[in-house]
Amino acid sequence: MTMGSRQRILDSVRAATHADVNRYEDVPRGYIRAGSLDLQGCIQLMTERLHEYGADVVQCAPVDLPHIVLRQLKQSGRHHFVVPSGFPTDWMLSGVEWLIDQNLTHEEIEQCGGVATASSSGVADSGTIVLHHGPMEGRRVISLLPDFHLCILRVSQIVETLPEYFSRFPQAPRLATYISGPSATADIEMTRIKGVHGPRFLSVIILRDDA
Amino acid sequence: MRASLFITCYNDTLFPQTGRAVVQLLERLGVQIDFQPAQTCCGQMHANTGFRGEAYSQAKRFVQLYRDTECVVIPSSSCVAMIRDQYAGLFEELGNEELRRQLAALLPRVLELSEFLTDKLGVEDVGAYFPHRVAYHASCHGLRGLQIGERPFKLLAKVRELKLVPIENLDRCCGFGGTFSIKNAEVSTAMLDAKLVDLLATEAEFCTALDNSCLMHVGGALHRRNLKMRPIHLAEILASTEGIAT
Amino acid sequence: MSGPVMDPRIAPPFPDAALPILQNTQLRKNVAHATDVIQAKRNRLVAEKQDWQELRTSAAAIRAHVLANLGKYLEEFETNCTAAGGVVHWAKDAAEAGQIIVEILREENASEVIKIKTMTSAEIQLNPALEAAGIAAVETDLAELILQLGEDEGSHIVVPALHVNRHQVREIFARKMGLPQLPDDPEALTAAARTYLRKKFLSVSTAISGANFLIAESGSVAIVESEGNGRMCLTLPRTLIALAGIEKVLPRFSDLEVLLQVLARSATGERLNPYNSLWSGVVPDDGPQRFHVVLLDNGRSEILGRKVERQTLQCIRCAACLNTCPVYRQTGGHAYGSPYGGPIGAILTPQLEHMRHAQSLPYASSLCAACYEVCPVKINIPEVLIDLRAQVVDQEREESRRWFDPMYLGMKVANFAFGDAGRFRMAQSFGKLGLRFFTGKDGWIRRLPSLGSRWTLSRDLPGMADQTFREWWAKREAEREKGAR
Repeated sequence: MTMGSRQRILDSVRAATHADVNRYEDVPRGYIRAGSLDLQGCIQLMTERLHEYGADVVQCAPVDLPHIVLRQLKQSGRHHFVVPSGFPTDWMLSGVEWLIDQNLTHEEIEQCGGVATASSSGVADSGTIVLHHGPMEGRRVISLLPDFHLCILRVSQIVETLPEYFSRFPQAPRLATYISGPSATADIEMTRIKGVHGPRFLSVIILRDDA
Repeated sequence: MRASLFITCYNDTLFPQTGRAVVQLLERLGVQIDFQPAQTCCGQMHANTGFRGEAYSQAKRFVQLYRDTECVVIPSSSCVAMIRDQYAGLFEELGNEELRRQLAALLPRVLELSEFLTDKLGVEDVGAYFPHRVAYHASCHGLRGLQIGERPFKLLAKVRELKLVPIENLDRCCGFGGTFSIKNAEVSTAMLDAKLVDLLATEAEFCTALDNSCLMHVGGALHRRNLKMRPIHLAEILASTEGIAT
Repeated sequence: MSGPVMDPRIAPPFPDAALPILQNTQLRKNVAHATDVIQAKRNRLVAEKQDWQELRTSAAAIRAHVLANLGKYLEEFETNCTAAGGVVHWAKDAAEAGQIIVEILREENASEVIKIKTMTSAEIQLNPALEAAGIAAVETDLAELILQLGEDEGSHIVVPALHVNRHQVREIFARKMGLPQLPDDPEALTAAARTYLRKKFLSVSTAISGANFLIAESGSVAIVESEGNGRMCLTLPRTLIALAGIEKVLPRFSDLEVLLQVLARSATGERLNPYNSLWSGVVPDDGPQRFHVVLLDNGRSEILGRKVERQTLQCIRCAACLNTCPVYRQTGGHAYGSPYGGPIGAILTPQLEHMRHAQSLPYASSLCAACYEVCPVKINIPEVLIDLRAQVVDQEREESRRWFDPMYLGMKVANFAFGDAGRFRMAQSFGKLGLRFFTGKDGWIRRLPSLGSRWTLSRDLPGMADQTFREWWAKREAEREKGAR
């Protein structure tokens, strides 16, 4: 049905632009690309931004990770946690109920109080957690329905600026979710209310890369 | 230093005192000022209302009139903005190569009054005396179109005994907008009401600006509501050596 | 109570539509408060951003580049989206877009569809088309939900329900959700919406979204939001339809590094919005397994072809221009009679109507240029407004009744007078004579006839002095000459 329209639209567009010469390489790019903070500074800024929007942040060494994961989950007051199918088994100590996502139904995920995932990147400038939804981050639904999200972010994954993230990942991922705050609305009298849909509570473990 | 005064159609007709003040001020500063009687209008009203062909004919007259002039001084930032922002486009569409050349050569020689004083004459203290409480209204064309910046403030700061009171929401439009004040009179009035709230909060005796257009609008409401504050063009403050009886 | 008219084909002209709103103190207070809040946040973050002007320059350049090469990028997007499992449709106008969407939903046997806020769906009047086809559309943005349940219309691009206060929201929710005991604090109201919508998210199998950006090189779609309803609609249903104007495309994934930074700061005064989602086509076992994109022209390719107007299409729908506009501040969005209000609405709406409707909108501005100053993609809105005004006047020039329009007549007479100094002097003399009748003893005019009465509605006018400036000058020159002799 729309083949005719496709041609019409493209013809119309081409007629409007046939005389234009405008090259991609000529787009000026004078904005800040690389950050100026060192790694410590980045971690500090990331932590600050996460705190600003009410997320909980702890740092830990790799050897302590499973215990810290368990501790954070227990502290959330919830008991059932969904995890991606590729979530490392040694991160899953006993003490809470783990539900590994192997094609769980939405209802089953809905029953879980929380979710734990790894992440693909962190952008310190905006306190953004980036999920590319690979095996250790899981399907999008599991980090969407539960009310509490524990996210493990490696120090080596943290960049300062948004352009730095894009230079690390020049190819568009198939799926990506960028989390820069809890869900919020200001639609009623401009009063900011946290947590409309999506997890209301975010807890981040910044995992140091030291051995 | 010689300069030719473009008085603007509305100043000539409704605010001749501003023109007299400009002449008085510039002569006091040693400028040899002349006035070309063939002048009429810069074309802004027509251009901004959509009468482009008509605006073009007025623009053409302006450029041809001042072709050989050393410097044109205009006590109206919106008229200067018209010349700087829109003449090129008009000549591009309706003019010819010759006119475009003339405009390019003329543009650097067209200055708004406060620009002429601070940039061309290099003065901030013009020897003025105005012992009154004054609020400055930033006309939009001066503020954004001409990026007039600190110039008016620097000039006002050197006026003896003048007390400048800052206004809230300095950069918010007063609602004049040329024919907007007629075509959208009610909305224009609502914007005017908001501007008056900020102006009256300064408790100034006078409201000044670079443009009598804004002052006509604000002043018209001040008078309608029997308020004490009066409008006065910047030129008249700068020309003043005796203040004004209130 | 019927809501405001937001169809530019039948909406009253702006000056008329504004009148009742100017009487509505509550609404004007809400608009002022909302825009002040967003502007303050925006200004703070812009001041903090050292490279803000460079970002604006790049954002404007990227958008201009896309438009200059739009055909190429649209085809690239189509190829890559299709390769990723999406189905791309092309709609030349609003009616066709509605037909395409209804047909997809019919194939799905959908009786209900959840929607993420999209201005474009309001532009094509999608909800009425769905209703006519027996399909219920459920708005899931909190503001859109409030408006839908309240049978009202949006008045701002980013915070559409800013004209509604908490008591009004409580009343709407209590009635439509069956919650008579509902308190009126925003927390409780939001919680009620959360519960109400949760049921919908988990049960409705088709969703409609807009698109903030379409990425040509990967065939991806990007959605920027705050509440999470977007993520719900993009993830849970079986079928997803994204409706997007053809101008939404960006060349590369990495171009988001510029656009996301300027969009978030401009729209909501944040460094990045809480949730940004990106997906390409269909991903097995994750999210909707059927994905359609409807590319909409509806007048855009025509705007593309106009030298001055093309920049209108650079818009990324941040609404910073609305937030700063002193006209919008007094009237809110309803006066514009279109889903697109404020400065961008004043230029976009009449153009989407091929300049056949909404001709009063280009005049709904004092040309203060505050909008241009904040536009993250540097659209010179005043320049476009002036050009559109010239188009409206050119339309009027073809009409025989133009000579009965006092404004037209006045402009022609003024132009005649400005054409020659002698005529101008004569016009001044006539003016002085004529105004004398209206000038009081104190030298002020309080009432004028015809168009003048619009001035004297709220302002006096100083009467003309004894001498115009040129008369004074001429006299002075004469005296000097005499003195010199």
